Amino acid sequence: MPVVDVDPDELRRLAGTDRDDEELKSDLFALGLEFEGETDDGEFRLEFAPDRLDRLSVEGVARSLRYQYGTDRGVYVPDATDPEWTIEVDDSVPDERPYVTGAVVRGLDLGEAELASIIQLQEKLHATMGRGRAKGAIGVHDLTMLKPAGTDDKRIVYRGIDPEGDTFVPLDDDAERTPAAVLSEHPVGDTYGDLVAGLERYPAIYDDIGLFSFPPVINGRRTEVETRSRDLLVEMTGTDQWTVDRMLAVVCYALDARGGQIEAVTVEYADRELWRPDLSTATKTVSHDRIERTLGVDIAGEDVVDLLERSGLDAERSDGDGDAGGDDDVELEAVPSHATRTAGPADEDGGADDTGADADETDDATNDDLAYDVEIPAYRVDVRHPADVVDDVGRAYGFNDLEPRYPDVSTVGGRTERSRLEDAARDVLVELGFEDLLNFHLTSERELFDRTELSPDDEAVGAREPARITEPYSEAYAVVRTWALPSLLMVLENNTHRPYPQDLAEIGLVAGVDDEEPTNVAEGRSVAGVVARTDASYEDAKGRLQSVARAFGVRLTTPPTDHPSFIDGRTAAVVLDGESVGVVGEFHPRVLVEHDLEVPVAGFEFRLDGLR
Amino acid sequence: MRLPGTQVALLEAASATETKTIAQLADELEEDPAAVTRAAFELADEGLLDVEEHVAEEVALTAEGERYRGAGLPERRLHEAALEVGADGEPAEMGRLVEAADLDGEAVDIALTNLARKGLGEIDGGAVLADPEARDDDPEAEALSAVAEGSAGYLDAGVLDRLESRGLVERTETTVRSVTLSDDGVTALMEGVEAAETVGQVTPELLTSGDWEDVEFADYNVEADAETVDGGREHILRQTADRVKDVLVGMGFREMEGPHADAEFWINDCLFMPQDHPARTHWDQFGLDVPPMESIPEDLLAGVENAHREGVGEDGDGYHSPWTPEVAKQVDLRGHTTSLSMRHLSGEAAGDLEPPQRYFSVEKVYRNDTLDPTHLLEFFQIEGWVMAEELSVRDLMGTFAEFYEQFGITDLEFKPHYNPYTEPSFELFGEHPETGELIEIGNSGLFREEVLRPLGVDCDVMAWGLALERLLMLMYGFEDIRDVHGTLCDLELLRDVEVVH
Repeated sequence: MPVVDVDPDELRRLAGTDRDDEELKSDLFALGLEFEGETDDGEFRLEFAPDRLDRLSVEGVARSLRYQYGTDRGVYVPDATDPEWTIEVDDSVPDERPYVTGAVVRGLDLGEAELASIIQLQEKLHATMGRGRAKGAIGVHDLTMLKPAGTDDKRIVYRGIDPEGDTFVPLDDDAERTPAAVLSEHPVGDTYGDLVAGLERYPAIYDDIGLFSFPPVINGRRTEVETRSRDLLVEMTGTDQWTVDRMLAVVCYALDARGGQIEAVTVEYADRELWRPDLSTATKTVSHDRIERTLGVDIAGEDVVDLLERSGLDAERSDGDGDAGGDDDVELEAVPSHATRTAGPADEDGGADDTGADADETDDATNDDLAYDVEIPAYRVDVRHPADVVDDVGRAYGFNDLEPRYPDVSTVGGRTERSRLEDAARDVLVELGFEDLLNFHLTSERELFDRTELSPDDEAVGAREPARITEPYSEAYAVVRTWALPSLLMVLENNTHRPYPQDLAEIGLVAGVDDEEPTNVAEGRSVAGVVARTDASYEDAKGRLQSVARAFGVRLTTPPTDHPSFIDGRTAAVVLDGESVGVVGEFHPRVLVEHDLEVPVAGFEFRLDGLR
Repeated sequence: MRLPGTQVALLEAASATETKTIAQLADELEEDPAAVTRAAFELADEGLLDVEEHVAEEVALTAEGERYRGAGLPERRLHEAALEVGADGEPAEMGRLVEAADLDGEAVDIALTNLARKGLGEIDGGAVLADPEARDDDPEAEALSAVAEGSAGYLDAGVLDRLESRGLVERTETTVRSVTLSDDGVTALMEGVEAAETVGQVTPELLTSGDWEDVEFADYNVEADAETVDGGREHILRQTADRVKDVLVGMGFREMEGPHADAEFWINDCLFMPQDHPARTHWDQFGLDVPPMESIPEDLLAGVENAHREGVGEDGDGYHSPWTPEVAKQVDLRGHTTSLSMRHLSGEAAGDLEPPQRYFSVEKVYRNDTLDPTHLLEFFQIEGWVMAEELSVRDLMGTFAEFYEQFGITDLEFKPHYNPYTEPSFELFGEHPETGELIEIGNSGLFREEVLRPLGVDCDVMAWGLALERLLMLMYGFEDIRDVHGTLCDLELLRDVEVVH
């Protein structure tokens, strides 16, 4: 989950509060931002679920707190002045990264802290919504360093260029390099090179002087933002217009909170022209019934509006279409007030007496058609359905103020047949003195095959093509096990210092590649057991098998067979009710020595469904 | 009469006329005195022997007393040394005498004190004048020898007291038991007493022959540790899983099962996880090197794609993310058992379901995570869901409060949270049953319409998930889950751990 570093003093200033650190932490927890510790500079490290991307910087967290405190209510949309600058999208722009957006922000007074916060926001947006810059990448520039390319208006151009076609001085560098050279010579090349690798033309942004940005890899040094920068150009390129526009909205709200004046930019595609940033609100129609049904309480109409406003949204009674359809004749005032709540942080316990009421007991017919048109600001990238608005109502209401109730529906419980069989078999093994084990299903081909003398091509229990993980975490956990005995041998190997006898058993998953299966992987449950003691022999394993077979009323026969892991002449197939389902035998000394064992080991493994 | 061997021997050794102590008899019989004592009391119980007890005083030399018995008492040695240098006329300088008498440390003070006390000489101004008339025989020296020879009984009590106060002898009291044959004992002996045979083990022969009636069973050391029998034990995590299953079945939940290796469609796409979601990279999930799963029903595939692209409902928005069936068909090891819930809700697993329904599973899931004391690449997930015509957040809270209470976890808190597939979503926190601290115990929510509608579900479904290992660690206080789960497990720990009930 994302972590964002926030200076508590800065947060207090922006949120307009003098709450102390502990109070602040508790307020943040209520927002879903968990305090994870402090940085060396005394900043709060806050972890949160990746839905509210507008809270990726101190400005956004402060805005949420102002709503929580009741300092702000309803939707706020920053004013944007008319555009002076145009971003022209040239035909040469690579097809793989066709979209661009941008905004100008003027009159900023950036200190070190503000600058660091903007950089953090940029990085966090890249990591989340920008999908590691692949989907959207942000470039922030000092506007005064740009020389407009146009004659009539101020214009910069987004185009595609030959990787070797031009040069610029990238950030953190002092040499002129081509984009191709940046990838091979500059440290950022290692991190972001893959994003443009294979492109015929590289994305590039030009002003009259020349190339100044190489998205999504790096900006040029010429337009680098510093504390003395007052006017900024924010540009974003990506694979999806909506995504870069939303990212831009989040950045513009943050810069607006820092006192910047947003100035629109014209984005000029070949076939259309856009005014950006797009800070227009979206509207969702949410029925009153949906809110009451989800929360399980009766709630007054005016309270819903109040709760929505406290969430930074605006709500109006719906005109009838949409989610549920309102009735023009219904007056908000006519809605019975079961749970009147007033705004403000001091009200945390208010209304608790009303929360236990069951919605269906006191349902009021006038509420049936009630709905709200809810206005949602552009930075709320997480709202995609009326249910998300209901969640906001619930949070503002205080979910923990709801009284739990056990759902009044009756169902009959039960276990699956396989799970009952597995348990019964496990009980029998334990009664026979086996220590029940639980090993990983992931292992290595070395353990499955090499160390047991088995080959996947053999005709033997455990010999089959394993399902391999395409990009394993480690070589030790690279395939799903094809049989379970190697796991038991590993446990014996790791416990040679423990007293013998060690009689171990496991019932668990084994699998192998099988194109007859819908998933192309055949899965089954295997019953495996080993008897390790100074005088262990074939008979010890067979004797226990006999007992298992008897317990399940199946007929066991053990015709001789061979298996590379066992001693020839001391190996048999496990045949249950006429079906060959496994193997039993004395492990070959080669296998024992390979596992550092100094006692004989007899073992068996067979398919669980053989006991059916 | 048949008696155990020791009793027979004791009876024969005892006398009706002469009182013999246990110590004497043990010597005589070459038996352990404790065994003889026990036999004596057993015989006394039978009325064959009379046992008398009296308290005896024993006197023994201390280490110092032993030393003086050999080398002489310090005052006598000083006296002798003084006479030798002619200090019977002229006082001799003390240092010289001490050296000649080979005394040092404490012994010097002891010598000087007792020299004066016994009148062996006089001490004046650092010089010693010895009395040549002093007697040669010294009762204290003689008493030391007498004690050493065991004839202290004849000594004068005053001398012994003196020696004890000088720390040269120790007096201890012991109970001395002595026995005499009773009249019945004499009669029994005259009628004849035989020793019964002693055997080590009860054998089939002993039982069938009837010989067991005539044997005495050798004593075992019943206090000694025997070899521990390590019977089998169900794995602690399995026990915990069974406990959870019992609770859920009792609450009306049916068990689900399904494939570990499954299409991403069931694992991720149905859950409204966009295909470019960061958790869908190979860094977080295990893709398998097998061909894609082709048998996903086309209408389901289309419905889910539509939910991703367009959203669900009039006011629903989709993701602005790429979506291809190729990604959906890729086979992975499931990262959560919610894939089973999706298969059941869609009707694929158990046919179309009508509300109400409750389903659960306690099954393995796989995550490409870093192995550490609390994280494994594979672990058990408890997954549960409830389907009903109408469910609210309160129903969800009530269900979980009921479930966790079965494990002693009460006072649940619901922290609003974000999941792509549920809204509202909650992280569940509860009080640790032992430490009382607030700990995360699960993740829950009401499934989104974007999840339910493409599966053909028109009512409400709430769901939750929790790692079984987490519950186990809470209940048992394990700190490193690797001790328990996997091939690095310690058999001793598994054998030692208490059972779950």
